[in-house]
Amino acid sequence: MNNPSSGAPLLELRQISRRFGGLQALSEVSFQVEAGEIFGLIGPNGAGKTTLFNLLSGVTPASSGSIHWRGQSLQGLSPDRHNRLGIARTFQNLRLFNGLSVLENVLLALHRQPQGHGLDALFNSPRFRRRQHELQQRALHLLDELGLADQADRQAGGLAYGDRRRLEIARALATAPALLLLDEPAAGMNPREKEQLCELLAQLRQRHQLTLVVIEHHVPLLMQLCQRLAVLDFGRLIALGTPEQIQADPRVIEAYLGGSR
Amino acid sequence: MIDNGLLVQMILGALLGLSVYLPMAAGQLSLATPAFYAVGGTLAALLSTQGDTPSAISLGAVLGEMLLAAGLTAALALLVGLPVLRLRGIYLAISTIALVEIVRVAILNLPFTGGATGIFGIPQPFQQPLGYVLFSGSLLALAGWLCQRLEASRLGRSMAAIRDDELASRCMGIHTTRVKLTAFVASAMLAGVTGVVAAHYLNTWNARQGSFDVAITTLAFVILGGSRSWLGPVIGGLLLTALPELLRPVGDLRLVLFGLVILLGPVFFPQGLITPALLERLGRWKP
Repeated sequence: MNNPSSGAPLLELRQISRRFGGLQALSEVSFQVEAGEIFGLIGPNGAGKTTLFNLLSGVTPASSGSIHWRGQSLQGLSPDRHNRLGIARTFQNLRLFNGLSVLENVLLALHRQPQGHGLDALFNSPRFRRRQHELQQRALHLLDELGLADQADRQAGGLAYGDRRRLEIARALATAPALLLLDEPAAGMNPREKEQLCELLAQLRQRHQLTLVVIEHHVPLLMQLCQRLAVLDFGRLIALGTPEQIQADPRVIEAYLGGSR
Repeated sequence: MIDNGLLVQMILGALLGLSVYLPMAAGQLSLATPAFYAVGGTLAALLSTQGDTPSAISLGAVLGEMLLAAGLTAALALLVGLPVLRLRGIYLAISTIALVEIVRVAILNLPFTGGATGIFGIPQPFQQPLGYVLFSGSLLALAGWLCQRLEASRLGRSMAAIRDDELASRCMGIHTTRVKLTAFVASAMLAGVTGVVAAHYLNTWNARQGSFDVAITTLAFVILGGSRSWLGPVIGGLLLTALPELLRPVGDLRLVLFGLVILLGPVFFPQGLITPALLERLGRWKP
């Protein structure tokens, strides 16, 4: 890992805009995320939250503005490059490798770990098998953290919905990110599962020294989890601050409940 | 019923099936196999018919040709693959068909490849078909072993991931362009090397050897055999190459039956004959 340049925030968005034809999905959004915080992103449907994640993970380029990672511009970098720099994500509509087993999904994401020499792999040498065994143990350990260890041999596509969401998190964690973007991690979970997820995320942040940016519709969960929140409405940033500040902000109340215009 | 001559053709079919399978294991429908097969065959035909009345060729010289063919097809695949692999699905298939046609027309019209009649009297390293059976059989065993190791390695896992979901693979940091290109190059090299063996075995080589028909036939190997493991295209290639010969006693009806097998195979075995479930039952799934 390269050292963060002194003073630069972990992630900085400067006047980010994204236009899809006639639709202005994001307009001039600016904020910073500091290392180690849990940052919430809320807003009504169609506010541009997932678009913002696509920009942050390199899936879609910004129309204008720039994103800086540890003081360095991410302009024009591919999604795999973003991941290698330490930005991992999950997907709102689940994109697991459904044909592969739960364990294989995580093993795949461990691909940047040293695998041993190519010749070792070719001849299935003891060294290679030992290395593969170590990687498997690591994958199992991650699955265990997410409560999925007993499902390791099942096909990913056959898991229950909540388990698939957690597997997405395990897979993203396996790429050893510094920043984890979670797109509606609690969607489809019951209140008890949501509560557990909340605790789990706080633990994971501690153990893996993560910074988290979380999109979530279930606002109470975010209020409990996050240090700071940003609120998007029709692609504009309408509020930024602590949960208390956000809850009291008249523009947020208007965006969610509708104003008397 | 199956003589050594047919066995050689079956093995060559299985090798070409593997060549189609490799890009497909990374989710890429490439039909470029006949182009690289033709390049390999033409290279062998040209090199071994130089000089005055060549009648025999040593095994070492054939191996040398195979190395050259592998190098030439790898270079060609790198050159073509970089732009072409940006295309997806059917568009990739169409552009690789175009490559097959370009190579075919080039071989047909180049001043030194013998035009429509091709090149004759390619010397044989073996006097008996049995020699070819053992030689191509070893090649198939080697290719199968490499594929088996591939499926247990990081590269093989990355290929499977791209096949399942390319965008998610990229977001997991997998260098998708590099992985797809590697599969494409490996496929090309295998086809090129197979072309060298085929040219010597057939004794003659012309532009028709690498035509669009071959692309469809070899694709059928993979579809009938199954594309979830390297064993699928091998079984598919062996069976579908043998079938027209085995059906010879029924006369012209054999072409109808052959067509029916290709048509009904996917209906009754949508995943092909060799499926992951079958392999699991055979207990050979764990690497």
